[in-house]
Parts: sequence; structure tokens; C-alpha cells
Amino acid sequence: MQTFSRHDLTDLFRSLAERMAAEQSYLAELDGEIGDADHGVAMAGGFAAAARALGEAGGADQTLAQGLTLAASSLHNAVGATTGPLYASALLRAASALGAETQVPLSRLPEVIVAMAEGIAARGQGKPGDKTMVDAWAPAAHAARAGLQAGQPATEVLAAAARAAADGAQATRAMMASRGRAARLGPRSVGHLDPGAVSAAALLDSLAHWARRRTEGSRP
Amino acid sequence: MTTTPRQPLRFGEDPLLWASWLYYQEGLTQGDIATQMGVSRASVNAYLADARTRGIVSIEIDPERFRALSLAQAMQDHFGLTDCLVIPSEGGDSPLIDRLGAAAAQVLSRLARSADTIAVTWGRTVLSMASRVDRAGLQDLRVVQATGGTTAKIPWTPEACATRLAESMGARCIPISAPAIVSSPDMRALLLREPVVAEQMAVLAQANRIVLGISSLRPESTIHSSGFFDDVAMHAHYHAAVGSIAGRLIDAQGQPVDGPLEGRTIGIDLGGLRSVPCRIGVAGGMDKVQAILAALRGNYINVMVTDADTARAILTSEGHDDTPARRRDQTPQPLPERLRVKKFINRPQDAVNETVAGALLAHEDMLAPVTDAPRALRATGAPRAGKVGLVIGGGSGHEPGFFGYVGRGLADAVAIGNVFAAPPPDPILAATLAADGGAGVLHIFGNFSGDLMNFEMAAEMAAARGVPVRTIVTTDDIASAPVDTRAARRGVAGNVFVFKVAGAACDRMLPLETCAGLALRANQRCYTMGIALEPGASVDSQKPSFRLGADDMEIGVGVHGERGIARAPLASADGAADLIVDRILDEMRPAEGDRVALLVNSLGGTPKMELYILNRRLRERLRARGVQVHRTLIGHYYTSLDMAGVSITALHLDEELTALIDHPCHSPAWTQP
Repeated sequence: MQTFSRHDLTDLFRSLAERMAAEQSYLAELDGEIGDADHGVAMAGGFAAAARALGEAGGADQTLAQGLTLAASSLHNAVGATTGPLYASALLRAASALGAETQVPLSRLPEVIVAMAEGIAARGQGKPGDKTMVDAWAPAAHAARAGLQAGQPATEVLAAAARAAADGAQATRAMMASRGRAARLGPRSVGHLDPGAVSAAALLDSLAHWARRRTEGSRP
Repeated sequence: MTTTPRQPLRFGEDPLLWASWLYYQEGLTQGDIATQMGVSRASVNAYLADARTRGIVSIEIDPERFRALSLAQAMQDHFGLTDCLVIPSEGGDSPLIDRLGAAAAQVLSRLARSADTIAVTWGRTVLSMASRVDRAGLQDLRVVQATGGTTAKIPWTPEACATRLAESMGARCIPISAPAIVSSPDMRALLLREPVVAEQMAVLAQANRIVLGISSLRPESTIHSSGFFDDVAMHAHYHAAVGSIAGRLIDAQGQPVDGPLEGRTIGIDLGGLRSVPCRIGVAGGMDKVQAILAALRGNYINVMVTDADTARAILTSEGHDDTPARRRDQTPQPLPERLRVKKFINRPQDAVNETVAGALLAHEDMLAPVTDAPRALRATGAPRAGKVGLVIGGGSGHEPGFFGYVGRGLADAVAIGNVFAAPPPDPILAATLAADGGAGVLHIFGNFSGDLMNFEMAAEMAAARGVPVRTIVTTDDIASAPVDTRAARRGVAGNVFVFKVAGAACDRMLPLETCAGLALRANQRCYTMGIALEPGASVDSQKPSFRLGADDMEIGVGVHGERGIARAPLASADGAADLIVDRILDEMRPAEGDRVALLVNSLGGTPKMELYILNRRLRERLRARGVQVHRTLIGHYYTSLDMAGVSITALHLDEELTALIDHPCHSPAWTQP
């Protein structure tokens, strides 16, 4: 049975950080249209800080919960902003979902998506349709829950969640923002993608790809 | 007898407009136009002459009509519609729903023919249409409810809409004598077998036209207020749904969303709907854009009636470029776009830390670092025993905000975030502890979701260490939300006055509650509005944060390089000042002889010369209103990196606020004896 360990967590965060660095200028461009253009740098900086902290901690004697808590605080302290508290809350929720284990079966990885979506919703009080990152996280969590219930393999569940998040992010184009900075643009926010939803979709896509590589055993 | 070709709906009843469009926009010859319109060439010639004398065509087609026409054309082309009518979003005294209703009534009157069977859904716009439609001397019309009935919580039920439409058109009304949603699939099957209902449903199946409202699924939408889904856990089953049409739910792509209601709904289904030859959709409003788009994508509509803003938003969502066409000789030569903005920076990621380092060196008599917190600074004299500590903070990029307001008579400490990003809780907590003189700490910052979350977390952490914190969130930007939702407004340059009032109150050793109350009063009496001439540029990418045309200005901008609430043609300095002062005076409503403190603030790229020119006009306007200016600040007080633009803040003074504004202070950005 394949597992997800504290060591894998570091590897996963490196992947996420690389992806956010690659998306940075695109996210900045999207955010420039309806926000303040800082989303790219916040996501890239936040995940880079989390990956660095996990790597430096080594983690041989850490639980997954400790690792995720470390990721939460280092991400939050690196970026602040809105992204910081929302993703910190998401990661803390994921920490309690995986519990004080040093490793879990890989099949439980989709639970992280459900937990993160709950953490974001609780901290930000956002609803689907508000044109925020919730519009990617909520459909992803829905897909993850459905896949877990059906007992599908983790890679399939994660891929389905990533697709749901991508569709959700695309759907924000036709929404009028009712939370966050873009809400002040009112009708002028329609026609633009929400950068928070786009970055969430990229994270989930990166997670799905990471899991596929992991199960295909390209990593020793 | 020659048959007159049907005039496309978008031209309304106006042949002059139609002829003008074909001639000036489509470039047809008068002969071609005559053929297309089914009139003589001489008539076309007369139409075009008339159009010019009536001002429909002067130099160009009237811009409002032109916009509606070109949007209607684009909607028709993009979605393969049979026809489309777009009405102006602004103008007219009646609300949008009634104007859409009137437009849809006009469309139905023109499309309907004797012996039609017209199905109709429900909703506010549909009811408005039903009241306005013209019978047009037609015979043997039938109007049939497209769904069963709903509870009578609302005036625009399916029954009411069908009855009203039948009355207006002199048609026979066929109701559906069953609820739209029944308690079980068995009940539905049972009811559909009832001869009366079965006969009514058979009539519905014969409908050759249908008029459809479109509901969003936002909490405020008709579909919720009508009680349609009262007993359904929407989110559990319909998480993918974005809109509702004839009581059926569809997703963003227009696909049906299946759920427990499907087997319990009595009315036309989506397949049946699509087989009705003429499907008139009528809906408008920004909150409905996603739902309307879904209905169009699903091909549930082939004649659309909407307004210009909604049409434009739908098309923009589809990637359609809505640049208004202009005559060539009127299009100004565009300036070369600034692709990269030069800046004195080293590595972008070091910009904030290097700013802080430089500020500490420049102002070492006033600012000091906080131990172990590189993003927190304190005043050299802080904390003072027994004095309420004032902590301010927010993102970088507003220099001299925020550290410029740290010093005697102002703030005791500041927390510094990344560029335009709220600081995390740790530096806020460090600043709070550094400012604590044992009398509690006051937090003041602008109303942004990141600042709210991070300051709230820091305040909880401070309270856990025995330091009581009171929080005042500034909301002075009058452009960012209407006055009835004042709490949603941004906090911008008015911060400067609120910090000053609070800092003076703290310096006078007043208790925490009193200091907070005075800061709150200053915020409530503070009014700011900004205009940008050029966007700022990101430190990180060195690219402009948004695009602004060579002849445009952006009204109501924030201080994070955000776009404003509207774009307008570039005005003169006096015109721009008037635009702002009108809005401020409207809200402030000063009495003759009242006093204000004025801040004429550069958003970074605008030099003092222009600020003085604006100030001149501001003073003219205030003098004419009998308002005295007690004190003027002019210059870079609260910037948005290098955005070219200005914000103007007026603090409506009273005796107490005047004294606090006059209280001495000594900080990098504001020093007065």
C-alpha cells in the first residue's frame, strides 16, 4: 500500500511552490485587472516560504500535522494579505484532518482538499458565486468527497477535483464579485477571471500531478 | 402588393435608424438598402436625410444607440440568435426591470401572430412585460403557464404572469392546475394522469412561443424568494447550478443539473423548451450575467432582450472585445504603451526591507526598530507609561504611509506588510507590545479583508497576553460603495486625519474608550475620493497594473493600483476637482461657516504643481458654499506607488476635532509645533 509521509509533504510543497512561481506573472496580470496585482507574488512567496520551512525542518521526527502547521505559519508570516490567513486556516484544518500520524495511506490524500476547502470557507465566510477562491475550492471539495465515497483511487479523485476546480475558476469570469477587493468594482468585475480561483485551480492541478508521479514511482 | 421585409428588432420601430445603420455601419449602397428594407431608393435617400436632420446621424451614429446596436449585433452573431434587442442601461426614469419588461412587450407584440400558443414563465420582469404588451388585434391566441404554480408569497407567480399576459393580449388563459414542485415523483405521476392537468400539459406541449425569465441562484434572487426551493438543500444537490430557467436548474455551460427536484417538477422540461420554435428570453442585471450566459450557451433562448451593460458583460465573459468603433478621423493616435516602468529598485523581493532600512536611517530621531520583528517599527519615545498605545499598519507602497505617521502626537508603532498586502499577525503583535504603555492599545487600519483578518488575529494574541485592544477600521473612500453600505467602503488617505486625531487623543493621555470614540468620529466625518490619470506599476513586474486609454481617466481609484469605479474622458483640472468636490459636498452637507481640514494628496506620480492647481478650484468651490478651510495638507501623504493621480480628503471639523488636528506632532510625514 502506498503511503503519504512527512517526507512526501516536503516534496509536495516543493512542487506546489514551483508551480506558483511559474504562474506568478500570469496571476499578477489577472489581479491587476480587478485587484491590486499582488496575488502572484503572494502565492509564489507564500508557498516558497512553506516549502523552505518544511525542507529546513527535515521532519524525520515530525508528524504530518506538525508539518502542515509549520507550513501554515511560515506561509502566513511570509505573505500576510488575504491569501495568508485563508491558506493558513486551510492548512491548519488539513493538519487536524490527517492527525498526529507520521504517514497515512495515499488514498487519504483527497481528504486534504475537503479540509482545506472547509478551512477557507470558515475563515473567509465566502460562498460559491462570490467570485473568490471558494469558487474553485468548493467544487473541488465536492468532487473529492464524491470520489472518496465511491472508493476511487486517489490519483483519479485528485484529477477529478483538479478538473472541477479548473471549471470553477473559468466560471468566475461571468460572476460579479461580492467579496474581497474586486467587490468594490461591482459590475466592472464581470468578464475577468478571479485570480484566487485561478491560483487554487493551479494548486490542485499541481497536487494531482504530484500524486500521479508519486504512484508511478518516478521518485525513489 | 409587395411584402415588407421584417425589420430586425434591434432597430425598434425606427426605419431611420435602420437605414442609417445599413448605410453608415454596414456600408451598403442606397439601392441595396432599398431592397433590404423593401422600400424605394428615394425613400432610403429621404430616410438618410431625415436621420441627419433629426440628429440620429450627425457626424456619427448617436453613441448610446450605436453601443446598443453593436452589442445586439454581437450578441446575435456570437450566440447564433434569431434576433436580439439591447436597451440602454442608463436613462429613462423607470427601473431597469420595467424598461426590460416594456422592451420585451414590444418584441412579443411584433412577433406574435394570430393562433399562437404562448407559454410564459414567471418573475418580476415577466410580469412587467405581461402588463405592457399590446394585443395588436390578434385572434385565437392562447397563453399557457409554462410550469405549475408556486406559493403566493410574491406578486409575480406563474399564475399571475399568465393571467396578466392573457388579459393584455385578449388571449385565452390555460393554467396548469398543479403545483410546480410536488412532494414526490409518485405524486407528480398521479397528477399528470389527472385528465384536467393532462389536457393543460398537452396545450403546453403545443406552445410555439415561450417567454422566459432567467433567475440567478444568488441568495437575493426570485427563485429563492418565491419559495420554489424551500424544502431542498440546494447546496447538497445543486452545487454546480448557476441559474434557473422555467424552474429547471442549469450549470455554467447550460447543461441540465440533475437532482431530487427533477422528478418532482411539473412544467415544461428543458428538452421540451428547446423544441419551442420561438424562445424569447428577457433578463438583465449584473448579478444575472452568469445565469443568462448559461441559458444562451444551452441554446434555451433564440430571441434575447437585455440591457447594454448586461450584454457587454456577457460578451466580455466570452472574450468578445467591446471596443467601441469610432470614425477614423476621431481616433486619436494612441501613445506607445508603457510596457516596462523604470524604478530605482534592486531585487524586487528586497524592496520592502530596503525601504524600512532607509527610513530608519533617515528618521533615526523619530523611528526605532522593534527587537526581533523586522517588519515592525516604533516611535523613539514609545511606549509611554499610562498612555494608550496607537498602532497603525498595512501594506507597503503607500509611503510615507504608514511609518511616516509614527512619532510624538501620532502613532506609537507600525506593522509593515508586503507591497499592497496586509502584514501578518506577528509584526502586528510585536508593534502592539512595543506600543503598550499599560493603558491598552488602539489599532487603526483601512478596511481591506486582509487587514481585517490579520489585525483581528493579532488583537486576539495581544488580548491573550493581557493587552486590551480596541480597533477602528477606516472607511473614508466615498467612491468605493454607496452611502447606505458605508461599512463596505475602503479606508484610504483619510487615514492621515484619523491617525492624527487618534494620536493627539492618545498624547493627551485620554482613556482607551475615549481615544477610540474620537477616532471613530474622525472616520465618520472624513470623505475621500481619488482620480487617476495613469496606472501605477507593480514593483515586482514593473508593469502597469491596468490599462487606461490615452484620453481617459479613472474615477474612484483606491490606493493599491486598483481600477476605479468608472472610466471617463479626461477632464480639465477644474473639471476633475468639481467631480470630486460635488460628491464630497453631497455627502458632507456642511452648514454655512463650517470648517474642514483638507488633504490634497498625490497618488505618487502627480507633482505639486498640479495639486496646487486643483487646490485653487477646491477653495473656490468651498468658499462659494461658505465652508472655511482650517488647515491644508498638500503633497505626497498616502500614495499608490507611482500612480499619476490625486485624492482629495475633507475632514468635517467640529470644535473637539479641530483642537486635536491642531495638537503638536512630530513624525517623518507630519510635523507641526
